[in-house]
Amino acid sequence: MGVNYTYAQSVKVEGHVNDENGLPLPGVTIVVEGTSQGSITDFDGYYEMSIPNGEAKLVFSYVGMQTLTVAVNSRSVVDVVLRENVEALESVMVVAYGTTTKEAYTGAAAVIDSDIIEDRPVSSMEKALQGTTPGLMVSSASGQPGAGSTIRIRGIGSLSAGSAPLFVLDGIPMSGSISDINPNDIDSVTVLKDAAASSLYGSRAANGVILITTKQGKTGTTKISLSGQLGVSERISKGYDLMNSTQFYEHSWMGLYNEALLRGETVNEAQVYAQNQVKAIVGYNPFGVDNPLDNNGKLIPGTQVLTNTNWRDEIYKNGIIQTYNLNVSGGSDLTKVFMSLGYFNDSGTTIGSDFSRVTNKINVSHKINDFLNAGINSHLSYSKTNAPPAGTGGANPVRSAEVINAASPVYDGAGNYEWGNTAIFDFNPVGLAALDKYIYKTKRAVVNAYLDVDISPSFKFRTSGGIDNSLDDGLNYYNPDHGNGAGVNGRSSASRSDNLAWNISNILTYSRKGDLSYLEVLAGQEALGADYSVLSAGVTEFSIPGKPDLVWGSKPEQPGSLTSSWTMVSYLTQVKYDYDNRLYLSSSARVDGSSRFGANNKYGLFYSFGAGWNISKERWMPELSWLNNAKLRASYGTSGNNSIGNYASLPLYGSGANYGGYPGITPIQLENADLSWEKIQSYNLGLELRLFSKFDATFEFYSRNSDGLLFSRPLSAGTGIGSILTNLAEMENSGIEASFKYNLINNDNFYSSIGLNISTNTNKILNLTTDQIVSGTKLLEEGSSIYQFYMREWAGVNPNNGEPMWFVNADSDDREENTLPASAFEDPLGSGKQVTSNYTDAERKRLGTSLPKVFGGLNYDLSYKNFALNFYFYYSLGGNVYNNDYAANMHDGVQTGSNLALDAAKAWTPNNRYTDVPRYVINNQDQSNQMSSRFIEDASFVRLKNINFSYQFPQKLCKTMKLNSLKAFVSAENILTFTSFKGFDPEVAINGTTNNYIPGVKTVTMGLKLEL
Amino acid sequence: MKTKVITLIKAAFLLLIFTGCGHDFLEEEPTDAISEDEVFESYVTAKAALIGTYDQLSSFSFGGLYNPIMADIMGEDVMVNSVNNWNWWIEVYQMNLLPNYVYINNPWWNGYKLIYDTNKIINNSVYIPDATSDEINDLVGQARVLRAYTMLKLAQMYSSAYAKDPQTPSILLPTGDEEDIYTGFKRERLSDVYDYIEGDLTAAANQLKENDDKGFFDRRAANALLARLYLDKGEWALARDHAKLAYEGLTLMDVNEMYSGFSTRNSETIYTIAYTQEDNNTYLTLPSFYWPVGGYSSMRANKDFVAEFSTADYRKGFFLKIDDIDPDRFLIVKFGHNNSVGNAERICIRASEMLLIEAECEAELENYTQAQDALYKIQRRSNPGVIKSTATGQELIDQVLLERRKELFGEGFRWQDIKRRQLPFHRDGDHWVKLSFGPQDADYYKMTFPIPQSEIDANDMLENSDQNVGY
Repeated sequence: MGVNYTYAQSVKVEGHVNDENGLPLPGVTIVVEGTSQGSITDFDGYYEMSIPNGEAKLVFSYVGMQTLTVAVNSRSVVDVVLRENVEALESVMVVAYGTTTKEAYTGAAAVIDSDIIEDRPVSSMEKALQGTTPGLMVSSASGQPGAGSTIRIRGIGSLSAGSAPLFVLDGIPMSGSISDINPNDIDSVTVLKDAAASSLYGSRAANGVILITTKQGKTGTTKISLSGQLGVSERISKGYDLMNSTQFYEHSWMGLYNEALLRGETVNEAQVYAQNQVKAIVGYNPFGVDNPLDNNGKLIPGTQVLTNTNWRDEIYKNGIIQTYNLNVSGGSDLTKVFMSLGYFNDSGTTIGSDFSRVTNKINVSHKINDFLNAGINSHLSYSKTNAPPAGTGGANPVRSAEVINAASPVYDGAGNYEWGNTAIFDFNPVGLAALDKYIYKTKRAVVNAYLDVDISPSFKFRTSGGIDNSLDDGLNYYNPDHGNGAGVNGRSSASRSDNLAWNISNILTYSRKGDLSYLEVLAGQEALGADYSVLSAGVTEFSIPGKPDLVWGSKPEQPGSLTSSWTMVSYLTQVKYDYDNRLYLSSSARVDGSSRFGANNKYGLFYSFGAGWNISKERWMPELSWLNNAKLRASYGTSGNNSIGNYASLPLYGSGANYGGYPGITPIQLENADLSWEKIQSYNLGLELRLFSKFDATFEFYSRNSDGLLFSRPLSAGTGIGSILTNLAEMENSGIEASFKYNLINNDNFYSSIGLNISTNTNKILNLTTDQIVSGTKLLEEGSSIYQFYMREWAGVNPNNGEPMWFVNADSDDREENTLPASAFEDPLGSGKQVTSNYTDAERKRLGTSLPKVFGGLNYDLSYKNFALNFYFYYSLGGNVYNNDYAANMHDGVQTGSNLALDAAKAWTPNNRYTDVPRYVINNQDQSNQMSSRFIEDASFVRLKNINFSYQFPQKLCKTMKLNSLKAFVSAENILTFTSFKGFDPEVAINGTTNNYIPGVKTVTMGLKLEL
Repeated sequence: MKTKVITLIKAAFLLLIFTGCGHDFLEEEPTDAISEDEVFESYVTAKAALIGTYDQLSSFSFGGLYNPIMADIMGEDVMVNSVNNWNWWIEVYQMNLLPNYVYINNPWWNGYKLIYDTNKIINNSVYIPDATSDEINDLVGQARVLRAYTMLKLAQMYSSAYAKDPQTPSILLPTGDEEDIYTGFKRERLSDVYDYIEGDLTAAANQLKENDDKGFFDRRAANALLARLYLDKGEWALARDHAKLAYEGLTLMDVNEMYSGFSTRNSETIYTIAYTQEDNNTYLTLPSFYWPVGGYSSMRANKDFVAEFSTADYRKGFFLKIDDIDPDRFLIVKFGHNNSVGNAERICIRASEMLLIEAECEAELENYTQAQDALYKIQRRSNPGVIKSTATGQELIDQVLLERRKELFGEGFRWQDIKRRQLPFHRDGDHWVKLSFGPQDADYYKMTFPIPQSEIDANDMLENSDQNVGY
């Protein structure tokens, strides 16, 4: 009421309010200090008002900005610049079942802001997280567009149950993939690492929790922003060289020649044999004449080469990545809205693979009255993927590119596809990409609604319900003439699945603030469940080509349908106590009951304790000018892991064991009524420092003890099933995490900072109920890593005869006796050790692990006026990889028609005795390409993960274009990698084996972002 | 209004807590599987479990393909091409096998799954409340034959021959009565294994009746397997007697039926795998590998073996030379597709084999006339003008053994025939891997598969030192 009252001696004052970028700030409240007299800035940030006298002070306030008090000092024009309230933004963080301030938090958690995730040419947000946070390991085995990555927080927590963290979207645990979420809708991501942070999620928190918070509308003028990005991608590296057609033809000749010699034929006979057979082995004569090779198997000079197919060039292409996003954000004091529409398209770098996605988000919150607040967060998406199969099957184009030899043409003379290659007969990947279909579609809706009730100033209540529904649709079509479908005249298989997860929670909080203390108590209940159902059908015998729908086939195959469900009920509580901003205590407890576990073990209790101590605020601490902040944290707690499938404890007979037209059933699973969750105990010790107002450092020491690890324990075949799921083992993950950030320059025009983070993780199995478990390339045993390689040790090639040699390692415990086998001899290469050329006589040995010894990121930010440059490196050092893919290209004659790496040309010959590549013999029986350390490589790498350069157009220019702001940027992903690894990409599956996955991609994109 | 809303919310909260807490809330069962208890609560489900056991038997990694095809590839008469074959069976053909190969693993694991399944039926059927004693006898009898068939097959593959040493360590002998699944199993002596098989088959021969559907084991099949068992053991009279019981009353197929591709059962079939293409992989079938076109089509015959057939022998027509397909080697047209690729039943036991067992046993028992008669019955079908053998002694035995090769090639007998008679192994002609060793040579270990490494690693009672000689 005083606003309109004008004092007689009042003075008039006017001015502009801008933000740090010089943009006008509309809607800023200006009040004369100590009065209720005030004004508000208009659209141009301009204000004018009357003040009592020239000595008055003006208070400028605006949401998200630091409140500024300015003395008028008898001026008539007062222009001010409001700064973003960095402090406020940083200190509030989203945590389990609520928010807290960074200061008061007792757990180990990291917050990643939207600016790391936005404007990155990636389909899914986790790819943007790689290297940003210590302790967070992100690895992408496949470059298939739209494919997710493997995420591990603080090492591998489980042997066989899932080791992926729990994802929580706006407070609702997700049950499907996170790759349906548009990264540009994300406001922040919180990674909860220790028990104090995550234990409130109980039986699902063992592998850490990642909280995703999406953008919300803000009070004020409606902001409309539009961004577009266009880029080009290609496979991440060229990979090792493969043989061309001439080299392969000559090498195959040599293999045949050697085969005949070993059989006891004369040199002459062997030459004739090789001349006669070489075309059959290679599949094609790529030359213009019938007998292109001389008697020594070398190409006669001047011979014309007609075919020299580079299959990689046929399979790989440049991909185009496009993303477009439209965001609308705004609201009043009562209602706030955020809406977005997003489109992402990646045409893929591999023939037949692509991905596109449309997303929509609407977040609304509404204040019903002074004690009720309701809201709804919704996410809708639709994605479509074309994804040819991975692995060792014939239809995998990636494998085809590596193994089909260069003498095999793509097309015959008439321009039709040619199908006769001898590596994967009848599987021409170019033809199959045109004729076969692998189409996957997903519709996803994640909706949650909540109601907040302010019962009294101390009591608050929130009830919320969420639904996460995925509808997946898959269609595989094999054409009738070639490849997988040829034998049945074409086959189509379709499947539809529906995964509906629901969640209801009710949380009551009580808080009381005293003079020095603050107490908060939370109690709640949660119930959740999921129903998964699938329907599948197939049909063969297609007469009309190119029509994949099931109606076109005439012969139906066995259809299938099933439903799988699980439920959980939980009670949770948490107490937090802060004293004098110096001491922080927290503790939590949760009881989970789950349908997944054995009858004897349905319920579990999980709890945690945490404490934080702000040493720099202690009175006895001297006021040190260089020490701004020092905080010590410690926590202990338990959590569990329940990712084991829904019915793992039951003794079951499965359907589908039909015979002779009669339906049959068959045992599929042994009973384990004691089956329980994996229990994890975590310890964490953290130290946060801020020095000289510009250097931040955080150190964390952690140890995670997993007990009762779920593992499918191998059993003798005599038990029928051969394995049983048991709570078998105990494992420890321990490590150190450190992150540093240093503000190099920070003034009006110039900002520059550098950050580094380092993580180590040691994974150790503490206890197994059985001595050793050998599985594939790995050995599980007490005292060693879960990903410890175990195989025979390669000793090189015998220079006298070209045979492979392995170290006998008689003292290894693979075989009990330490006697040397009859085949052992002293290493002719002079290692002084005993070697053997008989593969089975060598004993297997422990040969390092696939997990890196240290990994992390290094980032650098620079901004000058309107320019900004940011890049960051990701590094992973000390991990080993067993390179299956390379092994397939170094087969030494076992896979007769399959292409070879150029390295294979170094094969032993009497004239090339000292080499690491054994003799090349068609149908080689030396076992030289069997699993051994010959194919283990160091997969350490340093990668320029992202580099981003942006320019913010000047305000004036924007104005003439009627825009609020305009930004242009260039972003490049994965463009440089430093490694000695032989394959395309040292970033392979986390267990350290390659399996013909689509190689990773490097991408360069350009984008524009404008705000209306 | 405020109190009203709060009361409402409180009520909802309590309601949720109490409904959420209901006992059934945490009980979930799958819709695509049933619990073991349920299986033996009724005859219908127990019968379905028996069907499932046959399905295991018919699997391509056991009786459907692996066992029969490897048993001939491990011999001298046929071979697999080294090209255009996706590398199938190459190491088996080269007889250069490691304990971690799928060829070693799959039959073992599949076989023991089958044994486990049959143990369940044999041990639990008597408790089925609604089954008649005839029904129980039928279930248990068939399960016993299945178990015996599987054990005999595994013993033949994974242990050296009974003729060499009955005390040799053989296979595991799980009976389903084990108290602790974690203890593991030791390799039992071969003689004990054979005794166990004999017990099963003898019991089954009493429990079972004749079944017109030859897709299932019946009394005749139990006798046929007893004949095979006694043949392995060299108990000639018993082998002969059971062979006769097995073929008694059956009519041998005629030449036309023989040429129809062995893809459907006929008058002399004692047991056939009742293959259906709807739920099986048609590429992983015997005709897919044997028939010269349409499938893998990579099996070839050794020219020396083809030369053993007289031109008057209809069976010589099973071999073709077609330059367009393979200019070098003989194709084999014994096993054909039934209308579409790979669609074929696999005949596992037939009367002709029983007659040949009879002939061999009678020759061993020096009943030469009976032996010559039985041999003649087989020979004259394919060559009506053939002169009945007048040979005696070893010469006659050799003639019978040669006739077994000619009559039964591709049906999965040669490997075991070499082993059980401890014959020298001699591969020549146009084989692309030639081998030659006798029963006294060290290389004879190649005639026995290694125990899978996966078994040794998982089984607490086995060490690497329990591995078969040579591996």
